[in-house]
Formats: sequence, structure tokens, C-alpha cells
Amino acid sequence: MFRLYLLLIGARVRAQMQYKVSFLLDLLGFALATGLEFVIIAVLFTRFPALGGWSGHEVALLYGMTAIAFSLSEMVARGFDAPFERMMVQGSFDRVLTRPLGSFFQILASEFQLRRLGRTLQGTLVLGYALAVLQIGWSPAKALVLVMAVLSGAVIYGGLVVIGATLCFWTIKTPEIINAFTFGGTTLVSYPLNIYNRFIRAVFLSIVPVAFANYPAALLILERRDPHGLPAELAWAAPLVAGAFFALALRFWRFGVSKYQSSGS
Amino acid sequence: MRLYWEIGVRAFRRATAYRSAYIAGLLTNAFFGAVYSFVYLAVFAASAEPVVAGFSVREAVSYVWIAQALISIGAGWISWELADSIRSGDVITDMARPWSFYGYWLSKSLGERSFNLLVRGAFTYLIGVLYFDAIIPGVTQFAAFALTIALALVVSFAFGFMLNLLAFWLLDYTGVAVISSIVLQLFSGFLLPLAFLPAPLQAIAALLPFRAITSVPAQTFLGQITGAHLLGALALQLFWAVVMTGAALVLLRYAVRKVVIQGG
Repeated sequence: MFRLYLLLIGARVRAQMQYKVSFLLDLLGFALATGLEFVIIAVLFTRFPALGGWSGHEVALLYGMTAIAFSLSEMVARGFDAPFERMMVQGSFDRVLTRPLGSFFQILASEFQLRRLGRTLQGTLVLGYALAVLQIGWSPAKALVLVMAVLSGAVIYGGLVVIGATLCFWTIKTPEIINAFTFGGTTLVSYPLNIYNRFIRAVFLSIVPVAFANYPAALLILERRDPHGLPAELAWAAPLVAGAFFALALRFWRFGVSKYQSSGS
Repeated sequence: MRLYWEIGVRAFRRATAYRSAYIAGLLTNAFFGAVYSFVYLAVFAASAEPVVAGFSVREAVSYVWIAQALISIGAGWISWELADSIRSGDVITDMARPWSFYGYWLSKSLGERSFNLLVRGAFTYLIGVLYFDAIIPGVTQFAAFALTIALALVVSFAFGFMLNLLAFWLLDYTGVAVISSIVLQLFSGFLLPLAFLPAPLQAIAALLPFRAITSVPAQTFLGQITGAHLLGALALQLFWAVVMTGAALVLLRYAVRKVVIQGG
């Protein structure tokens, strides 16, 4: 299964790399466009000393982690985004159902968008800068928490994309509102979670748990205390939360597929 | 004139039909409005001074909401409908019709955008008023705001029109879209109030037309531009409206020469 995935994705990646200059410019453009979000943070810290008790470098750490996590999900789960929506509109999802492989696997393997690495690139630069300037007393545990949080974040964002795609089974087009949770979610958690009200904090730690991409891990790495009493040890739960969230998204997907009625066109 | 009025009215009515689209748009705008409101509340709470770069915390939060509301008239966002029609070739039908091509797209855009402003924009700002105590402007401010909006619409349309026309020369306008959106968002004052930018960037913004699109209407709405400054701001907008429209019309003349119609 995994070999087949690599084979299919490899073909997509090679296709995208055919025009090298065009691809590199695309990558650069994407890095610049998504980097604008960091410009807001950088400019704000030229005028203000701190944000909810966090320094500019600490916020850069938060930003870098979620930017990388989100970009990985955009790249890998791209098949569930616009290409799947097109499939639904044109009615070509029927073909997927006739093939002897799971529909989830087929959609996942149908697209892989390499240019999304542009966001990964700028996120990595920001994260690298933050890690270089922050005085962190490193330990293997902290390094592990950092990596786990980013990967768990990617899985959670991926789960959101799958949920958005599943809604297509009822609405044909992915409701725009899912963007508020994916794009909006990564913007929201780019800033320390403690600045938001109780409702938002609760939602983004439980129902749409994208805060696990960075906040608890950053608390643990920076040895900070959350003013609202959120334990930093929660960082260790990130993989569990991500796994549970993705499992739910997957079940919802299966349920959606079982309710699918072709448009017949 | 009557013709263009009718085109505008039709575009306005058509926009009313996409109910789920404007509700989703409204919620998305409100979401980002809320996030940035919390950010400004937090930075001002830590600031030693109550007014930063000419903005109090309430003004900064209100600015966030008015900027989100102005997305409906093209703040920080460009429509690529015309470029798509150039790509598909449908543009020929519109060019062959007995009307001004520029006038047609302008009235269509004004119709759509005034609907968006009246519904999506107004409700977005209302959420800001209800939940974040955004400023409610007085009658004179509001009247001045209406004037700045009218001119902002003309400038924003001319800018978008020129970019769309580039599709006559370029096979792929992704690059243009990316660069123009960055420039527009940063230098129009959509991302942040221009006064927050570092001095060199502010100097660049002052030379560009984009502040006529977001910054001038937003600051007028908040009552930060009044009296003689208001007249200056309106003159600036008028200047850019004339220059940008003129440039767009010149570019259109060149673009028309590029058109090759294939029979079929």
C-alpha cells in the first residue's frame, strides 16, 4: 500500500518539477505570500514590547511550529481540497468507488502539492531563527516534544481538511467556513493561546484541537507557565489528541462515503 | 448612462442570490476580526503608553474590523474574473457588444461590491461593535466615509482591471496574483495600519496608490482624518482615481490590439 502511494505521488511530484524555473518561482511566491502573516508579528513587535507576556522571539517559535505543521498538511492532504471538490462537482467520484482500493487512499494518493513547501520553507526559517536566539536549556525530552507537536499539528490540520471534504457529500462544494478553522486556525495559534477568551481557548484545545501544534509544547520548551493554569505536560498528549481527532475525521469520511449519492451526470 | 446603471443593478441583484457565500464570508471575516482584536488588546495591555503610533487600543481594534469589512470592496483582495474570461476566450463576446468595455466591468463591479459592502461589510463591522466595542462613527464622519468609499472603489477597480488585462500577454498570471496581493495588502494598510510600519515602508506606501483603497476610508471612518486633512485625503484619492483609470484605459487600448479571434 505504501509502495503504491509512493509510486502515485512520485508521478505527481515529477510532473510538478517538469518546469524547474516556474516551479522555483512558484515556491518562492508562495513563501512570500504566506510569510506576510509573519510580517504582522514582526511589525507589531517593533511597536510593542510583549504580547500576552510573550516576547517576539517566543511568538516566532509559536508561528514557526504551526506554519510548518499547516504547510505539511496542505501538501499531503491536497487531494481532499480543491481537486476533490472538482471531482464531486463533475461526478467523477463514482469512478473512485468502482476501483478495488479504499476511497480514502485513492483521494490521498491523487494529489501532492509540492509548491506548498514554500510555506514550510518560511516557517522553518522563522522557527530556526527563534530557536537560535531563544536561550533554551535543551533536553532530549524538549526536542521530542517539539517534533511531536509539529507532526501532530500536521495530522490535526489534515483531519480538518478531510472533514471539509466529507461535508461535500451533502453540500457538493466544501463550505468556505472550514477555511476559518484551517487558515484561521493557524493564524489564531500563531499568537499565544492565553490572549484569547475562555471559549476560544476551549474550542481550539478540544473540538478543533489545532493549538496542540504549538502551545503546550512551547510552554514546556520555554518553561513557561500558562496564566490560566494549562499544564505544560499536556504537550505529551499531542500525538494522542491528533490520533483521536484523525480517527474521528476518518470515521466521518467513511460515513460520508456511505451516504454518497451520485449526481448521475 | 442608463445602460451602465442597469448593469450595476443586475450585478447587485445577482450578488443577493449567493446567500451561503456571503454568510460564510461574513463569518470568516468576523473570525479573523476577533483573532486580531485579541492580539491588539494583548499588545496594548503590555504597552507603557495608551496611544501607539496615533492609535488607542479602541481605535486599533476598530481598525481591524473596518479593514475586514472593507474586504467587500477589494481591500487586500483582487477579483480575477476578467482574467479568466480572457483565458477562456469569452472576453470576445463582451468586447463585441455595443458598450464601453471598461464601463461594463466597472458597473458590474460597483454593483457587486456595493451589495457586499452593505451586507457582508456592514454585518462584519456590527459584530465588531457588539463584541469588541468598535467605534460607531458620527453622521459627518459617516458621510465623509461614504465619499472616500466611492473613490476607493474606483481606484481599487482600476488597479484590479489592469492586473487582469495582463492575462492578454501572460499565459499564467499566478505570479502576478501573488506579487500584487502582497503589495496591496501591505501598502494599502490592510494588514496593519500604515502608521505601524517602519519608516522606510511608510515612505514607500505614501508614494503608492494603494492607501487610497483601505487606509484612507478606514481612518476617515474612525475619525482620524477630518477637516483640512480630509480634503487632502479626498484630493489624493481623486488624483489616484484619475491616474489609475487613465492608465487602465491606455492599457486596454494596447490589449485590444493583442486580440486574435479564432473562428470556430
